[in-house]
Amino acid sequence: MAQHVEGSRPQAAAFLHSKQGVRTGIAVAVLIALAAGAYLLHQTPGRGAPASFSLLTGVVLGLLFERGRFCFFCIFNDLIEQRNSGPFYAVLAALAAGGAGYAIVFGAFMPNAGAGRLPPAAHIGPVSWALVAAGIAFGLGMALSGACISGHLYRLGEGYSRAPIALFGSLLGFGVGFYTWNTLYLGVIAGAPTPWLPAWLGYSGALAVHLIVLAALALVLLRRIPEQAARPAQRITPAHVRDAVLKERWPPLITGGLVGLTGTFAYLRVEPLGVTAQLGSISRTALDHTGWLPERLNGLDTLAGCATAVVQTITNNGWLVSGLILASFAAALLSDRFSPSPLTARNSATALLGGVLMGWGGMTALGCTVGTLLSGISAFALSGWVFALAVFAGVWLGIRLRLHAL
Amino acid sequence: MNSHKPQLLVIVAALITLLITTGCVNVQPVAAESPAGAQANAAPAADPVDAPEVNAVTEASPVGFENVVVSTEWLAENLDNPAVRVIEVSVIPGVYERGHIPGAVNFVWHTDFVDTISRDIVSATRLQELARDAGINDDSTVVLYGDNNNWFAAWGAWVFKLYGAPDVRILDGGRAKWEAEGRELAVAAPTVEPGDFTASGANANLRAHLADVRQIVEGDVDAALIDIRSPAEFEGTIFAPEGFQELAVRAGHIPTAVNVPWAQAVNEDGSFKSVEELRELYASVGVDGSRPVVVYCRIGERASHTWFVLSQILGYDAKLYDGSWTEWGNTVGVPIENPAGTIWGAQ
Repeated sequence: MAQHVEGSRPQAAAFLHSKQGVRTGIAVAVLIALAAGAYLLHQTPGRGAPASFSLLTGVVLGLLFERGRFCFFCIFNDLIEQRNSGPFYAVLAALAAGGAGYAIVFGAFMPNAGAGRLPPAAHIGPVSWALVAAGIAFGLGMALSGACISGHLYRLGEGYSRAPIALFGSLLGFGVGFYTWNTLYLGVIAGAPTPWLPAWLGYSGALAVHLIVLAALALVLLRRIPEQAARPAQRITPAHVRDAVLKERWPPLITGGLVGLTGTFAYLRVEPLGVTAQLGSISRTALDHTGWLPERLNGLDTLAGCATAVVQTITNNGWLVSGLILASFAAALLSDRFSPSPLTARNSATALLGGVLMGWGGMTALGCTVGTLLSGISAFALSGWVFALAVFAGVWLGIRLRLHAL
Repeated sequence: MNSHKPQLLVIVAALITLLITTGCVNVQPVAAESPAGAQANAAPAADPVDAPEVNAVTEASPVGFENVVVSTEWLAENLDNPAVRVIEVSVIPGVYERGHIPGAVNFVWHTDFVDTISRDIVSATRLQELARDAGINDDSTVVLYGDNNNWFAAWGAWVFKLYGAPDVRILDGGRAKWEAEGRELAVAAPTVEPGDFTASGANANLRAHLADVRQIVEGDVDAALIDIRSPAEFEGTIFAPEGFQELAVRAGHIPTAVNVPWAQAVNEDGSFKSVEELRELYASVGVDGSRPVVVYCRIGERASHTWFVLSQILGYDAKLYDGSWTEWGNTVGVPIENPAGTIWGAQ
């Protein structure tokens, strides 16, 4: 949250801040529009339930991310720089709930985990040095630009001015990723293994290992939770509930648990959670039009992950991202956290550069902190853990190099 | 403290047992996936004949619309009928898993119906294993359906007929129609009792190879050829529709072939046209059942849809040339017709 500058609000934000009724009105209008949009999508031939469900999943994520401040960079930064592990429990809770949910869904989708197949479309990717490099680049990009890609998407709704620049940078980064793809694919990715825990341990065994690892992490990180202030005994009144929902940051365990649950529902009904498929596809389509795209991206379309494609339309993932940004905007208005941050030449340049690094990393890793990390680890993919460690290392390095304070 | 210990131990032991037992159930491989299990499964029935192709005339199989095509209503009423086994063959990954017709088992076209190494259809042994695991008996009514206009369901139907399954039917309108009617879908994969289906040797009357097609082209055999690809592919204006990776280095079609795109055989909702309409459609290009007909497309799958119409619905002597254009167009020294004159690599 280092980049969040409170106090010096521009005029429009100051106006919004002073008029609670206007804020509430706009937020409610946005939420109603989203509900109407979901209804209309459901009625549209060729879109139907998957598009509608994706939009609503985006809305839920937008609310959760904004109210719980589920921003991977902020969470990692709190742990590394502030030595506060509290927010990190949101990630652990998301992975625990997601793992349990995926185990249940996998059991229905593919009862025999040892059949030599991978469950359909789950984010289980090849583990190679390219994945490690992608993770480190992604982590450095997070430090430089102040958030990961999903973080920028929801903080866009809060008025974070660097977000659109970082997201534009990620489009460029995706382009770079398409250029380096064939070399990396032929060199390291094509021959890399795709380890999937349930293939050896079954779903219960994989889930047991998954939960033990998360519990061990949770135990180790307890030391870094700051001392909690004593809370006076009090009655829960409707005003308390209102403040807990609309004003205060949602507790990490609740936010994380609900993110994990949302990820499970998304996989059950449409596709694993991810936020880069539409962004990458925009990049791929634009490059395709200019003729700059390599004629053949070897093996890319056969790998599971945040799949990009040359598209002329808004994909389900596009609806999810739209819902996420708009719902975060509504949540930010309701909690009076909408505040355009100041933009300078310097912080624009770092946002752009960070975006490029994240775009390259996200393309090469076939997803970002949501797709490859969250959905991947929930699906018991080793690629998810490797990417997570590499991203964390990248963020750590970025903070050590003071990239976040440039 | 001490008095709590035994209880704690019991709980821990129970949890471990639970984990191990549930874990083991999942790890245990299904018989079909391990060679040993497959043999055990195959033991009671006669071994399928793999190599020699049987040249006998098709056995008395049900031919005629109502015997080979089932309506969504019929299937909905027969979901609990133990004699009916339903198979989904969809192309898009996850479609089956996120909701299929209750009781339907999943067949993956590119691993379950083809041999991934030899560019051939799946072997009789392998199909028999898969069919038994799917609970198919020799006297089962096999109903196939899928996404993408039933293309791959039709491919599956052709493979099942080729290996002697007596009663193979297709769900009219496929998955799209079932969904559009808001009918019931299930998420969990069904558990079925293994069946006793025995695959016969491949029925040569249903399949054409390159040499067979060459004999037709050279006039040694009197038979019609139907190309079911798009007119632009048939004319040679394009090599393949955009986005398809499998190509031939020549554009055009097999000499003497007529062009009837597959979609002309279906109504707007994807259901088959009436027998009368279908008969007229193919009679208009000179295919009326009076002489054998061979159908082909690009990689062989879409043409199985038209093969199903000609062979199963109309009862004509029809073969599928599954090598199709990617084999013919790439083969050295075989003639083609290329009205558009498109040449590979030329500007």
